[in-house]
Amino acid sequence: MSEIRLGTKVPDFELETYEPTKGDFGAFSLKDQMQKKRWTILFFYPADFTFV
Amino acid sequence: MGCDIVTVSTDTKFVHKAWQENEKELARVKYPMGADRSGKVSREFGVYDEANGLDLRGTFIINPQGVLMNMEMNFYNLGRNIDEMMRKFKANMYLAKKANEACPSKWKDEGDPTLTPSAKMVGKVHEALQGK
Repeated sequence: MSEIRLGTKVPDFELETYEPTKGDFGAFSLKDQMQKKRWTILFFYPADFTFV
Repeated sequence: MGCDIVTVSTDTKFVHKAWQENEKELARVKYPMGADRSGKVSREFGVYDEANGLDLRGTFIINPQGVLMNMEMNFYNLGRNIDEMMRKFKANMYLAKKANEACPSKWKDEGDPTLTPSAKMVGKVHEALQGK
């Protein structure tokens, strides 16, 4: 079930990441973005090795 | 400016690495690639397809205060338009500075006409869009 609503605060979430610029793994969290005062564009897609 | 793109699928970070390193179309990719193997985050955003464990094509713009400002979702068979995505992002950045204004459908970038809703504008949107 989706809990998020336009115009309301998104609950904090975290993701493990692959960082192409470093060639290494990392982590993303919404809390970090808010601390850094940065916008986030989340871009969901079905699967790697397919067209996006 | 002041924005980070994060892509997310239900693949692992290991698969992300293999894909990015092998697919020449992705050679210039700089953004972090998020792994939501359990679908937890995807479910929260309503893009998780329970039938097959894949994510639908959802795009979400979140402001620095953590508030969701824009959402768009396409089914598997329709790709997203990057220009429209950037238009929405630019509009959100602009509106964050100009709380009283609104960006109409044809707004593309700063400098294009905006609307400032007021009693005077009722029935006069056409004139307002012409800058009169």
